[in-house]
Amino acid sequence: MRANSVGWLLLTPTLPILFVFGVIPFLYVLVIGFMNWNSFAANPDMQFAWAENFRRLVFDDQFLYSLWLTLKFAFFAVLSEIVLGYFLAQLFMKDFPGKGFFRTIHTLPLVIAPIAVGATWRLLTVPGLGPLPYYLNRWLGYEFNISRYIDQAFFTTVVMDVWHWTPLVTLTLLAALSSLPKEPFEQAQIDGANRFQIFWHITLPLLKPAILATVFIRMMDALRTVDEVWMLTGGGPGAATRYIGLHIWRVVFPKTDYGYGSAMSLITLYLTIVMCWMLYAGLVARRDLKRAE
Amino acid sequence: MSDDTDRPVAERRGFLPIETNAFDRVFIAVLLFVALHLFWMRFLEADLPLMVATVLSLIVGVIIVMRG
Repeated sequence: MRANSVGWLLLTPTLPILFVFGVIPFLYVLVIGFMNWNSFAANPDMQFAWAENFRRLVFDDQFLYSLWLTLKFAFFAVLSEIVLGYFLAQLFMKDFPGKGFFRTIHTLPLVIAPIAVGATWRLLTVPGLGPLPYYLNRWLGYEFNISRYIDQAFFTTVVMDVWHWTPLVTLTLLAALSSLPKEPFEQAQIDGANRFQIFWHITLPLLKPAILATVFIRMMDALRTVDEVWMLTGGGPGAATRYIGLHIWRVVFPKTDYGYGSAMSLITLYLTIVMCWMLYAGLVARRDLKRAE
Repeated sequence: MSDDTDRPVAERRGFLPIETNAFDRVFIAVLLFVALHLFWMRFLEADLPLMVATVLSLIVGVIIVMRG
């Protein structure tokens, strides 16, 4: 009972902050999501609209396209970051000359503000000015133009996200790898297991909590990415990189359709929660249950 | 010194493929409530009113909370 009281006492400074900056804005968006509220409309006042905003968005092709693009972006970005981050973490577990320097350089993107990352990549890739299109054309004869080709624009945003956030995955997996016990690996080597078997049956299951936590964090981040992409492509060409965050921004600010934008935000939050929960239920809860049987 | 983390959580296994406590079951029921309404508005509302989805999802929710 005493430990319980101490726990609540320690939480006291956090709870009001969480309530003011987390719970109240969420409830506000929840209420606005059921309202018609557009300051450019004939009647700019807030009116209760039942589920009209949600009804409108399930038929909104632009919203559904943005959602599909965002899911595709999150899939490619998070998968690449996890795979690359794992190999880099394994690399940093070994000793090699210049390891400290390389590790510092590798971690630097993590401390750069997303808006600056977007600006940097814009300068790298902007047609007619950036070195990337210039050298790709000069050396390989490849026309690289993110203002013109939608696939190039999409994959450039993915590569930019991978460049920015892989260090986070590397550091998380490096910490997890460093804390793994040595005994199971020695035992497996004595039993004659090959490298793939050791990875599949020992390393991966032991790393699962760290990988899952990283996937959750990165997936939530990828689903709400705005600033980097805004700086790099502005959502274009056309709507090729107009991810859901950018789409919501366009609806809420330039179009001032607050009710509809709130409904979109709620559905995005809902999908994020559903995906994280399904990942957890499919990979952790169900397997734990099988093991218990 | 007792701690809340030592207290056993009332988890059980019903027809859902995972072990759940009461909060999990309410959470799943709410997720299904929203999903069913969105699906209904997109594909079925032209033929059947949304109230049917509300009644259905409440029944499904109660079943999940009681037996899930």
